[in-house]
Amino acid sequence: MKKINETHTVGPLAAFFIPQAMQIGVGFLSFASVVTKASGQDAWIAVLISGLSTLLVMWFILRLLENERKYGTPDLFSVHYRIFGKRIGAILNFLSFLYVIGFSVAYLRSIIEILQVEIFNQLSTLSFSILFCLIVWYIVIGGIRNILGVCLLSFIYLVPVFSTAIFVVPHAHFSNLLPIFDHGLQDILSSSFVSTFAYLGFEFLLFVYPFIKSPKDAKKWAYFGLLTTMYTYLMIVLLSILFFGQGELQNTIWPALTFWKSVRFPFLEHIDIICVIILLWNLVPVISLCSWVLARGIKFTFPNVKMKYSLIGILILTIVLTVLIQNGEQVKQVGALINNSGFIFIYLYIPLLLFCQWLKKILSGESA
Amino acid sequence: MKRKITLTSLFLCFIFLAGCIPTSIIDDILIIEGEGYDYIGNGKVIGTITMPNFVQSGNQGSQGAGMPTTASMIRNLSGKTYDGKSLVDKFQSEGQRVIRPGKIRLILYNKRLAKHGLAKQLTFRNRDPDVPRDLNLAIVDGSCKELLTSENYQTQIPIARYVQDMIIHNNEQNYPDSDLSTFLYAYYGTYMDPFMPIIRKKDDHIEMRGLALFKRDKYVMSISENKAFIFKMLYQNFNQGVYDFQFAPGKHIALRNVHTSVSYNVRNGNSTSPEIFAKVKIIGQVRQAYPGSISKATAPRMERKLERDLAYQAKKLVHQLQKKGIDPLQLGDQVRSFTYHFDGKSWPERYRQAHFHCKISVKIQQTGISS
Repeated sequence: MKKINETHTVGPLAAFFIPQAMQIGVGFLSFASVVTKASGQDAWIAVLISGLSTLLVMWFILRLLENERKYGTPDLFSVHYRIFGKRIGAILNFLSFLYVIGFSVAYLRSIIEILQVEIFNQLSTLSFSILFCLIVWYIVIGGIRNILGVCLLSFIYLVPVFSTAIFVVPHAHFSNLLPIFDHGLQDILSSSFVSTFAYLGFEFLLFVYPFIKSPKDAKKWAYFGLLTTMYTYLMIVLLSILFFGQGELQNTIWPALTFWKSVRFPFLEHIDIICVIILLWNLVPVISLCSWVLARGIKFTFPNVKMKYSLIGILILTIVLTVLIQNGEQVKQVGALINNSGFIFIYLYIPLLLFCQWLKKILSGESA
Repeated sequence: MKRKITLTSLFLCFIFLAGCIPTSIIDDILIIEGEGYDYIGNGKVIGTITMPNFVQSGNQGSQGAGMPTTASMIRNLSGKTYDGKSLVDKFQSEGQRVIRPGKIRLILYNKRLAKHGLAKQLTFRNRDPDVPRDLNLAIVDGSCKELLTSENYQTQIPIARYVQDMIIHNNEQNYPDSDLSTFLYAYYGTYMDPFMPIIRKKDDHIEMRGLALFKRDKYVMSISENKAFIFKMLYQNFNQGVYDFQFAPGKHIALRNVHTSVSYNVRNGNSTSPEIFAKVKIIGQVRQAYPGSISKATAPRMERKLERDLAYQAKKLVHQLQKKGIDPLQLGDQVRSFTYHFDGKSWPERYRQAHFHCKISVKIQQTGISS
């Protein structure tokens, strides 16, 4: 097993910032109208359920990686190789590459769509994604510590964005939340299912974990990160229901943006534009970490290829895929695709993997 | 050397890729602040837009002896078009510079358009991402074009700001909140109907004329300013409203509320005649009263009178709304929020049958510095 150079490791707090930055991307902008579609005013219960379930998945992930530590590098690539052998492992790794690049493209294209609709109608997808990928290239070339720095900054920059929620309070219609539990369990669970897209991202800890210096301390931060995200999303859903009510929510594509339009400052106009621009920054860590994971995966599969060079290829592929998605409907479809595959990945595949790991241990224990 | 080439190419990339987007420099655009629509029948409207008129002063500090002050931009445009047309596109060819809708403060409709229906206007407003949602809407009793383009107001401030200032400060008093965001909330919401204030041009100024109530997007009826107090009392918690109470012919007392809170309770929400209970608490003060009508000792007696009158007025108002089949007080939404598996389909029928009970408690905190 190749030991990771200590200058490339990050502190345990990374387990807080990285999942957090990956989760809160653009999903939350359309989140409220998507989750309330099936379960109306009870959508917050759905959000709570999927938030709590991510804690469970995180427990699976940490368990999986900790078990793996004694055999080698604790990340998903090595787990695949060790449990399923080289050939099937490579195929599974390739599938997870597809998921990661899909994730990154879906996020990048969603924010470009928002920019095109909200602010710059003439913005070209190509030139914007090239510019964006240049920034990403610059960050990723600096290594995991740089990426963690960007994650931290995105967390800090989001604080003023979310504090605009205070402006909901004077217009809150608290009766919108009543009656509680008016919807059946099935409606609530289907809302939970569609809220997966917003929660996705914390599973990237599967790739980053070996780079965390003292993993014992990192555990609690990983759970704190998830709880913070859950709190944020719960607030967003509650406030959207209080502010909009069901009729208007179903009519709105990005409730958060529409809400920002009604925020009034005496000295500032169009908070929505400022917030969208801040959200751009929020996307930098997402694309950076995805590209970093891909570059690392390629290095893992083909040790001869340097990350420096594979990164350029990955970014070009990201740009090409981003440009291929042409309109809002396709953006929606890609989002749904990532939602479904992410759902399968975190709720079915990861427990299955843990089971396989346990099975392997039993089998090899018997044969020995 | 290699590094230099990389850096240069990066730099060039940024230069060539950036700046592809047209700019909106604030001095070089016309910012629409007010829009007005006058319906003239047959699906046609007269649209009017106003732009702020920044006065360019001549020589600074010349105390009027220098160049005369000039207005640098055109102030308003109006013309005939069809209902639901974006005025920005319509007047682009007549604008001195590019017209941008980024800061609309005021949208006015005349009564006839409101009766005809605002659906086209509202969907269009809700779709346009450039338009803020903190703008104010109002119905004009008379012509919007005349109100927006008139030159003889006492104030030099652009008309849209004048009207918006007036509406906003009134929303803090007798009138309920009525910006675009609250209007759309009620318009798209189920079991509720929207409302907006009515304004009128009166010689050299503008005045509030009451509240216009809608059924979906159509104007149905209006209520006066004094009734607006009753309306707001049942609609939201507020303060600083004034209720003029005539307790005997020719004898008035003005209750200024310091705080009013309202809470609802509903029984039998799914029955044919739901029972709605409103409980209103008013803490108020008296500044204007008929001589000798009120003192610290007689305040409780006046409180009871006020309670009876307010409850009567409230019931009368709700009854009136029920008869018209409109629900600007969002009572239907209250019933929904108290009822599991609310039967929404039959609600419009049941709304007319609903029993409205109102319990009001008035507390006069103080009656001024003399008795």
